[in-house]
Amino acid sequence: MTESATGPAMTSRERVLAALRREPVDCTPLVNPTSVATVELMDLVEAPFPDANREPELMARLAATGRTELGFDSIMPVFSIIQESSALGCKIQWEQKDNWPTVRMREPIYETPDDIRIPDNLLEHQDTRCVIEAIKILKRQFGDEVAIIGKTMGPWSLGYHCFGVEPFLLMSLDDPDRTKLCLDRLKESTIVFGQAQIDAGADALTLPDHATGDLVSGAYYREFLLDLHIEFAEALPVPLILHICGRTVDRMDDIARSGMAALHFDSKNGPQESMDIVGDRISLVGNVNNPETLFAKSPQDVREEVVANLDAGVQMIGPECAIPLQTPIESLRAIREAVIDWHAHDLGRPAPTSHA
Amino acid sequence: MPELTSVANEFLRTEIEQFVERPDERERLIALYAGASERMQSMSAALVEGEHLLVDALAREALADGVPALEIMDDGLIAGMALVGIKFRENFIFVPEVLACARAMKAGMSYIEPILSESGIEPIATVVMGTVKGDLHDIGKNLCTMMLRGAGFEVIDLGVDTSPDDFIDAVEEHRPALLGMSALLTTTMPNMGVTIEAFIDAELRDEIGIMVGGAPVTQDFAEDMGADGYGKDAVACVELAKRLAEAEKHRVEA
Repeated sequence: MTESATGPAMTSRERVLAALRREPVDCTPLVNPTSVATVELMDLVEAPFPDANREPELMARLAATGRTELGFDSIMPVFSIIQESSALGCKIQWEQKDNWPTVRMREPIYETPDDIRIPDNLLEHQDTRCVIEAIKILKRQFGDEVAIIGKTMGPWSLGYHCFGVEPFLLMSLDDPDRTKLCLDRLKESTIVFGQAQIDAGADALTLPDHATGDLVSGAYYREFLLDLHIEFAEALPVPLILHICGRTVDRMDDIARSGMAALHFDSKNGPQESMDIVGDRISLVGNVNNPETLFAKSPQDVREEVVANLDAGVQMIGPECAIPLQTPIESLRAIREAVIDWHAHDLGRPAPTSHA
Repeated sequence: MPELTSVANEFLRTEIEQFVERPDERERLIALYAGASERMQSMSAALVEGEHLLVDALAREALADGVPALEIMDDGLIAGMALVGIKFRENFIFVPEVLACARAMKAGMSYIEPILSESGIEPIATVVMGTVKGDLHDIGKNLCTMMLRGAGFEVIDLGVDTSPDDFIDAVEEHRPALLGMSALLTTTMPNMGVTIEAFIDAELRDEIGIMVGGAPVTQDFAEDMGADGYGKDAVACVELAKRLAEAEKHRVEA
């Protein structure tokens, strides 16, 4: 074991949980609040899409590659954003190995708040049960060493899925109170599915709620979501990682007072400008660019983005969002190498331990 | 050069003062509105406010009173969307507000389109539009489609989850000048490149101008994928389409 400024070397799990609490760590952890699955990894462990989204053993096996092949300090088995929407009754396009399952949002299941019914058997549906069982498997295999992160969708994202993006956004403008009623009713799914994953062994939860600056204003976050996110942070007894794609700097100040442990932020937001806004009120995780850097550029480009985040003081390093399925493994491995190099090349920084 | 005071509609004057900072755009918008009748200015104002029922009524009344359909489209509807596009680009408004304005434009266009299509006006060019394979998001693509149609393009909309083969089939069938691809997800963006590769393999790439867009797409990404152009939003899409259509016309004539 390596001695460091923080005492004996930490396990990956300890490292992630400390970073989520903004406590000292022996090495900046690599965290994936969203999927790092690729076709190459599916082939490696014979756990292809779409089955790996629906069968617990395959889901756990593919998710584990984030640790065994890429060296992440966390394992997050929910590769898509469709699991509970499927259980709520949305139609899913399952696709093949090289593509993501997607909710058919052009075929919405709700039109009014009164249509919203969170089924009593939400957790018995194949696609929610799969996540819960996969977390149990991963907890048994890696629970002492690695942080197991679950994922429960926030009501805003569920609104897109269940009402359709366009009708939902128009409703938010035409009738904000009605929209709030929808969110209030959908939040039950967020809490119930999140709690079930905690009971199964999840150390933390990603909570995607796509109130992104690419779609709605920062004022929307404050009006529609801040109170709900405070409620989630109080109701779910593990650190929550809010995931919002796109530009979010105009709402980071509000997010920082939501009680979420961390924000998984997009590369559209500069690491330093983001850290300047959130300060020590919330951890940041991210924000290596997916479609250009990880997917198409060189490992050296990946390293530069990692270093920019580390230099800014970002507490956890990882891709900005779920990565394209054709992302080369060497790009993903470059994330870890860059973190190790960054720590090793400054004597003032604590030395990393090796686990990959 | 007309002054802001030459725009009769007070709401439009305030909007320009408040939201349009670039001098060239100010000048263009002032000229646009000052050159329109007060009635058309009112329609633009209603559209900018997202008042679809009002736009619907104003369009119907204007047609009944003999205002030409083309004037209603250009001076009432598209003129309004020009301001909406600037406000969206500068983050004064976001997608819900743009959707409301688009709904208002659709309300007006529902009366205008049948008249224009009967009149036999030649489109600027034909554009095949679609969201790439694996991606079911279409708000941005639909806004672009609507704006392109309003600007005088014929648009063949392939919808969402469009495979490279579907794009190729549509291009072979309709022989458009342009192809527009949209993606909202970082996970599906690479399918733009896959589609462009398929056009190269089918020896069709040189036959068509390809433009791409979508929230996570950037100019760099568009260039890396081998697209001919990138549009940040629906207004930019129309400008890009006009430029590419002109270039395509010169290529065909050469």
